[in-house]
Amino acid sequence: MINANIYTKELKRYRNSLIGWSISVAVFILLGMAFYPLLMQEDMFKQISAFLENPFMKNMMTAFGASADMWTNVLGFYSTRNAMFIMLLGSFFSILLAGKILAREEQEKTAEFLLTKPVTRLEVVRSKLAVYLTNLILLNIVIFTIGLLSLEIFKGDSRYSFKAFFIHWFYALLLMLTFGAIGLFLSLLIKRGRPIISLSIGIIVGAYFIDILSRVTPSADKFGYLSPFKFIDTGVLRPDYALVGWRVFYFLGLSLVFIVLTFVRYKKKDILV
Amino acid sequence: MMGKMYLIETQNLTKYYGKARGIINIDLQIEPGEIFGFIGPNGAGKSTTIRTLLGLIFPTSGRGRIFGLDIVKDSKEIKKQIGFMPSEVHYYEKMDVHELLSYSANFYETDCESRIVELAGTFDLDLDRKIIDLSRGNQKKVSILQSLIHQPPLLILDEPTSGLDPLMQAKFFDILKEENSKGTTIFFSSHTLSEVQKMCRRVGIIKDGKIIAVEDIETLRKKQLRKIQIEFNHPAEPDEIDCPGIIDPNPEKNNLFFLFSGTINDLLHALDGKDIEDLIIEEPTLEEIFMHYYSEENDKR
Repeated sequence: MINANIYTKELKRYRNSLIGWSISVAVFILLGMAFYPLLMQEDMFKQISAFLENPFMKNMMTAFGASADMWTNVLGFYSTRNAMFIMLLGSFFSILLAGKILAREEQEKTAEFLLTKPVTRLEVVRSKLAVYLTNLILLNIVIFTIGLLSLEIFKGDSRYSFKAFFIHWFYALLLMLTFGAIGLFLSLLIKRGRPIISLSIGIIVGAYFIDILSRVTPSADKFGYLSPFKFIDTGVLRPDYALVGWRVFYFLGLSLVFIVLTFVRYKKKDILV
Repeated sequence: MMGKMYLIETQNLTKYYGKARGIINIDLQIEPGEIFGFIGPNGAGKSTTIRTLLGLIFPTSGRGRIFGLDIVKDSKEIKKQIGFMPSEVHYYEKMDVHELLSYSANFYETDCESRIVELAGTFDLDLDRKIIDLSRGNQKKVSILQSLIHQPPLLILDEPTSGLDPLMQAKFFDILKEENSKGTTIFFSSHTLSEVQKMCRRVGIIKDGKIIAVEDIETLRKKQLRKIQIEFNHPAEPDEIDCPGIIDPNPEKNNLFFLFSGTINDLLHALDGKDIEDLIIEEPTLEEIFMHYYSEENDKR
């Protein structure tokens, strides 16, 4: 199974980083949502919606998966902000953590210490994966709690569906997991000293812009499916908004493929420190 | 097939890094309880051999057994009983020494706490210091403790003395001898012959990825190899004397230095009639014997 010694030590190692990310994300959500009551003041929204209706801004809003009418609902406002920033932040957190949790042992040459202990390669990957998943889930519990809290604090007269909030949150978690699995596998392919961080950031930003392009350019719609972002359903206000099998399967399937590839690769990898 | 039970045994163990040579057909037999020296210059394949034994890298061909267990399939079982000191120390920099040693100890079933404190005392190591703040020598001490605390029956040491001051080196050798007297087998890799000479009964010499000799230290020394210095009354030439057994003649002003594997009688006959000021015959150091092995290998090519 997993090695408890590695798990505990690594959990402690990333504790401060997790706390930092949690605080940032929480502040981000609360600050962002604090704009909602301001926006809903009568004349304010009229001014803004006129501004949002101009073709350029309309495109911009489409790009971020939002529309002016979505913003009148508190969950609509939350989810478009969420789509824009929290999902991006969470994806960065996920890919960066997964990209270093295993590869760092080689980069910092501690792999020689770790792998001469009585542990199998697979135990090492499993333990590291467990630490990564624990961190990812904890961060997402923070996102969930603070998100829900912010909706309650700032909703005013607006009503929202808890189910829709939960589903949107869950899609975002699956997205982050997928990027993590990609990062974990890529970190094993990269030669020591190469910048995994810039590659990780490049992947997220690239995928994000592919998604945006496909939203503003109808002809590029299919092209958008190259990006995991495209598989998120952001239509939280639709009555039929639900967890859809093929979307969930896409995220879980892709994650599983990269995790299995990681196990296969690490089992046979020569550790050259 | 199984004649004698060796603690470490490899057959045709070979490792290529892509096309680059690592080690070629390494055959080793190390007996339980011995201190085995593994000698060769940097890049000869010492670390590659050790890394293959420890499962850090996988052999291209051939096989190896430690405690009768397969080095690839049973690596975890094997590592339960090994203490390893790498040639270069790299630890988790943010940990303090005690955390690092406890982390290391927790991988084994033995309780190591008292041993940590005892050995830290012996080596005068401060357990509360952060790894990153330690000097190279102190990091090396952590590495020594880390390899010893779980009291493994086999120690694999890859150039363990580099970076240790002579005093600590002496303490370290004392502890190794003590462990060995309790039955611990030690595989000691080094490029310094003098320390191997102090510690080991047998020595394997590796060069360009191949084992070129495995000998008892005593046999090595008794190989009748002599170190000869002749001082002439005129500038010396390399081919000044003609006698079978002269190795690497090296003239320096009036002196001629060489290793000599022939008989003293032949040499004296060859010197007959020469104008000689002085003649010195010494027992060569292992270093010189070692160089001789190398040149012999070169001559065969």
